[in-house]
Amino acid sequence: MFRSPQAAGERIVVTGLGAVSTWGWDADSLWSGLLGEHTGIAVSRRFDTQGHRTEVVGETPDPPAEVVTELDRWPHYSQADRFAVVAAVEACRQAGLVASPLAATPPLGPDFGVFLGGSTGGMAEGEEYFQQIVGSDPRAARLALLASHQLNIPGDEVARLLGVSGPVRSFSSACASGALAIGAALDALRRGEIEAAIAGGSDSLCQLTYAGFNSLRAVDSRPCRPFRRERAGLSLGEGAGILVLETATRAQTRGVRSLAELLGSGASCDAHHMTAPHPRGAGAALAVERALADAEVEPESVDFVNAHGTGTPHNDSAEWQAMQTVFGTEAASLPVTSTKGSVGHLLGSSGAIEAVATVQCLDAGEVHPTPGEGDLDEACGVDLVRRESRPLPPANESGAALAVSTSFGFGGANAALVLAGCFAADGDSGS
Amino acid sequence: MIDFSTVVVSGLGTVSAAGCGREPAAAALRDSRTLWTEVDRSGGYHRRRGSRLAALTAGLDFSPWLAPAAARRMSQPSRLAVTAAKMSLEDADLELDGDEDPPTAVVVSNAHGPTSILEKILAQSFSQGPLAVSPALFTESVANAPAAQVAISCRARGPNLTVIQRDAGALIAITQAAAEIAAGRVSRALVIAVDELTPLLHAVLDRFNGLATAGEDGEETARPFDRRRTGAIAAEGATALVLEPEDAVRERGGRVLARLRSGTSVFDPGAPRSGWSRDPETLAESSRRFLTQTGLAPEDFDAVVSGTAGTFGGDRLEAKVLRALWGDRELPPVLVPKAVLGDHGGALLTGAVLAIEGVELGPTPGFAEIDPDLGVVPHDGRRLESPSRLLATAVAAGGAAAWLVIERGDGR
Repeated sequence: MFRSPQAAGERIVVTGLGAVSTWGWDADSLWSGLLGEHTGIAVSRRFDTQGHRTEVVGETPDPPAEVVTELDRWPHYSQADRFAVVAAVEACRQAGLVASPLAATPPLGPDFGVFLGGSTGGMAEGEEYFQQIVGSDPRAARLALLASHQLNIPGDEVARLLGVSGPVRSFSSACASGALAIGAALDALRRGEIEAAIAGGSDSLCQLTYAGFNSLRAVDSRPCRPFRRERAGLSLGEGAGILVLETATRAQTRGVRSLAELLGSGASCDAHHMTAPHPRGAGAALAVERALADAEVEPESVDFVNAHGTGTPHNDSAEWQAMQTVFGTEAASLPVTSTKGSVGHLLGSSGAIEAVATVQCLDAGEVHPTPGEGDLDEACGVDLVRRESRPLPPANESGAALAVSTSFGFGGANAALVLAGCFAADGDSGS
Repeated sequence: MIDFSTVVVSGLGTVSAAGCGREPAAAALRDSRTLWTEVDRSGGYHRRRGSRLAALTAGLDFSPWLAPAAARRMSQPSRLAVTAAKMSLEDADLELDGDEDPPTAVVVSNAHGPTSILEKILAQSFSQGPLAVSPALFTESVANAPAAQVAISCRARGPNLTVIQRDAGALIAITQAAAEIAAGRVSRALVIAVDELTPLLHAVLDRFNGLATAGEDGEETARPFDRRRTGAIAAEGATALVLEPEDAVRERGGRVLARLRSGTSVFDPGAPRSGWSRDPETLAESSRRFLTQTGLAPEDFDAVVSGTAGTFGGDRLEAKVLRALWGDRELPPVLVPKAVLGDHGGALLTGAVLAIEGVELGPTPGFAEIDPDLGVVPHDGRRLESPSRLLATAVAAGGAAAWLVIERGDGR
């Protein structure tokens, strides 16, 4: 449990959530899916899976018609742009920043920033262009397919749509991108560079990542099984997760409900290997320790961990080592969940959608379960939340639940976020 | 605006078409010597009358900084980044042991990612089927591969970030890194701007009408702020800066190459996705606010180091924003390092650091005829009396922009 210090500097709170995932094009669908005991990972409808190690992925369903019609530029967006924009609009709507109809929304202006992570951006469309330009008639290649190729475009499109004229910063540090982007937004808010941020990540599935992770033999033939004995790899997913972050004072003044408080972030690099995590999870532990130090909370205050939990043998093992380093003997009794068992690994946006899920857990007072077949790996002694959600201690005058969300990426890029629940009498307007 | 006035640059490493190290780059900038060479057009995807030239790094020897055995396992952006990073640490007289506390951050910017690797993977996938994709190539296909390779090579265990924001990325990377240092979370940072240029990327940039083509006089070159400009000369290279708190540099007897006073980045939501806004007001207002917050007036700058590169819309917007910022006052010399080193993120950083160090930059090559719509004459080669403060600018296609105030260090 955590009690927010009254005398500390300006607190940063979450006032809006948006998500796109295999469960649907909004955060409520995500939460419903996460609470179920089944996975959203299924046989791909998009890729030719013949001969590959796996045929299952966490693909998004077709978007609802009202989502498409609300956005004039829909045909010009890449899939990653669409995820980012839809999730950003949803988050801003919950935060009371976006009107209906969208066109009636005044520009958010220079006090807002956009901080987005991603690792593939418009790669799916870029692949189509590549196929055309190296084909028999390069002149016929449709340049419009490349317009969203650069990884900054999803963030740019969010800013363009919502009229953000403060900083727009895009980060691409593999699977840590989304969490690093949220950490960068937290820093910008703390130093007063901006008053509010739209932060998170967006990534779409593409041939490159599907074939690449298959070639690495890093994917499970079945839906991924985080922390299970028979786990055999990750399952790829796609989508976006967006948080609206703002100062608690601003949220209070505007009369919007704070869903959670973002207390701290930490980052590190293994500096060890391009793809394999440090075997003892040294870099991962450093990132969590730095996040806890940044949040000024002790490890024993943490109520649950939303783990990176990919389901690869190496990751889950290294992550358990990292948890033991940080939490000591308490690690074995600390509830752990992994969103990836439900939605797959969203790569550059995984840290973002996991931050969304963590806020949902804190706000609902329960930790969502982690789907996956088989028994727990006894060598990974995590107290995995399985089958059904587990209640969190209720927020009250003595404090609110505290969570850590972790993200570890290719190249040893590690990031961790510390989030706490909000109690209605804890300085925000509540509802 | 971010105030990081205690943060300084203590090391510079650079790889460009001019060669490896600061001296070749300084010589090229001093002599206004452009470095353009023919691009391989044998792939057949270039436009017939499109751009033919670029500033390339082929044939450079990285072995003093990067062992060939290690280089073989890296993509070209990783090789460029690691070479520049090692060079910058050497320049700063620093060696990292991996156990520093606070740690060392790595912040890399690039615009297009490891394009040669991506092209190879996609070629494998489309010609031989997805099952043929090489796992060895895939590991280097991620945009953060250069940052990871720098961390591994230099044993940097702090935050590892890769910033992607087109031409504004290099200044944003500095801003991110300097803010980490100013907050006391890292002891130093390696900031690297790296870009790779493949023939296919060159052809694509040309198809977006971003590159210079043979102009009225038949010459293909970058012509910043010139009425006859047709585009940039695409380039590849890397520039690495070591950033540290000034007292740490003093304590270890190091040299301060430049002081970083403050920086910011903003966005113009009115800009088209692949071009520049015609209306400068959003960025002009942002730049005015930045200077006010920094406590500086336009006349406090001895020069502007512009990230512009000779594109029609980019130069136009840059000129309009500068004109709006300076108003009726005369602009200080506007230095355009990309006119010599070509259009890559590292060129701006190299030019800015060398200029504040006192390297004399020659007249801006390619410029001969003022564009009356812009009213900006770039640096004409006149002697700059050891500039004490520069404004580095980057106005990117798509709406992002960044500014950085750089002040004189210990001099050369």
